[in-house]
Amino acid sequence: MEIPDHSSDEGITDGLKIVSYALNSKGEYELTPDFVWSPVNVANHQAWREIEKQITKSREKVAAGRVSCLHYYMIANQMDTGLLAQYTGQPRWKVCLHLIPFIFNRLPASTLKNYAKLYKISPDDLIKGRLRPPIYNPE
Amino acid sequence: MPDFSHSQSAHCESGVAANLLTHQGINISEAMAFGIGGGLFFGYLPFIRINGLPLVTYRAAAGHILQQIAAIPGVRMVQKKFRNRDEAMAELDRALAASIPVGLQTGVYWLPYFPKALRFHFNAHNLVVYGKEGDEYLISDPVFPKPVRCQADDLVRARFASGALAPKGKMYYLAQVPEKLERRHLIVRGIQAVSKMMLGSPFPLIGVRGIRFLAKRLGKWPQRLGQERADLHLGHVVRMQEEIGTGGGGFRFMYAAFLQESAAVMQEHRLQDCASSMTAAGDTWREFAAMAARICKDRARSDDSYAAMVASIHRCAAMEEKVFAELQKWTKQHS
Repeated sequence: MEIPDHSSDEGITDGLKIVSYALNSKGEYELTPDFVWSPVNVANHQAWREIEKQITKSREKVAAGRVSCLHYYMIANQMDTGLLAQYTGQPRWKVCLHLIPFIFNRLPASTLKNYAKLYKISPDDLIKGRLRPPIYNPE
Repeated sequence: MPDFSHSQSAHCESGVAANLLTHQGINISEAMAFGIGGGLFFGYLPFIRINGLPLVTYRAAAGHILQQIAAIPGVRMVQKKFRNRDEAMAELDRALAASIPVGLQTGVYWLPYFPKALRFHFNAHNLVVYGKEGDEYLISDPVFPKPVRCQADDLVRARFASGALAPKGKMYYLAQVPEKLERRHLIVRGIQAVSKMMLGSPFPLIGVRGIRFLAKRLGKWPQRLGQERADLHLGHVVRMQEEIGTGGGGFRFMYAAFLQESAAVMQEHRLQDCASSMTAAGDTWREFAAMAARICKDRARSDDSYAAMVASIHRCAAMEEKVFAELQKWTKQHS
């Protein structure tokens, strides 16, 4: 791969300048900064679109009362029931039960606190069903 | 302020290895660390799923490079894993108090200084902590241009991320290094290990056979999964190949840089030729990725198709088979 004479836009890295290996004019490899190859951007945008699609779907389900707001937080933080179970130190079937609104509304404060701590929100947000942005996107 | 010479690199693990060694007075480039650590690999493992998509890997398993570096005669590396969070942080603080820079395995998702777009649940990211100020740790993250800072709170989360490849608080530092690194022998050993893996694997899913297997499967994706899912799978392969941490072309360019450097160390023009062929293989991988990206974006040109991509991956397989056969022959003469 030869060094291109223009640098591509910031794209996926949000302005982070990365380095890649590229051949210079003498045919020697060097680390060149500020070079994000555009097909990577395409693939990464595709992945994020897919995540956003799932988040929107989850929001609709929560609004319709088919799942608890925990489902939204799980999906928004790119987790599945297995990963959430590992993070909170519970068996998976319990997490699955907690996604049902009827059961979620009757959870003890300690369990809610556990979830709230993981997602850096207050237990009150979970009780009131407020949907805050995921952890990587504080507003 | 503690002193640590931070230099940016393309891949986190080889970058950490090179930075730690350089700190101890052994000047070594990232590509060289990658090569003698035997970092190159290929594996298509569809039974391991990442976000529901099959695992494609262009590099050795996480931790492999460091293991190889630790096995160099004269090098002693202390590695620890923890169950208890407080204990893990206390041990880190103790090492920092003795002004030892410490390497950590972390989960990217919990590191606040990472750009939003890269925050996936990926747990094998390596970085070096070299100091502490108040409640903040000073971090030399090899994929960043400058040293960064991170709150203790967030670092604990990152060190104890769950899921695949969970770091379990893993930390490591160099306790002892030889005065001079005998590179020639290490280079031969590194190349030997990689070519053996790429050519002689008994499993059809890794090495050159793995590349061909991927080509076969990829050709069938549109019929098996439908167009939308197939494009998603394709985008995933491109990301594994080209995303930050690969140095481009699925680590092939980094390996070519290593071969080039080795050619100079060993005074061996055959390695230089292999470096050129490796670059060609990397370029072919990029050709494939560019075509895949056009298909994902619905901007396919007239000659872009899954069949064309299959052909291009087969070309990669053939090129790499040739390079590694040549390298294997070369190592046999030198060991």
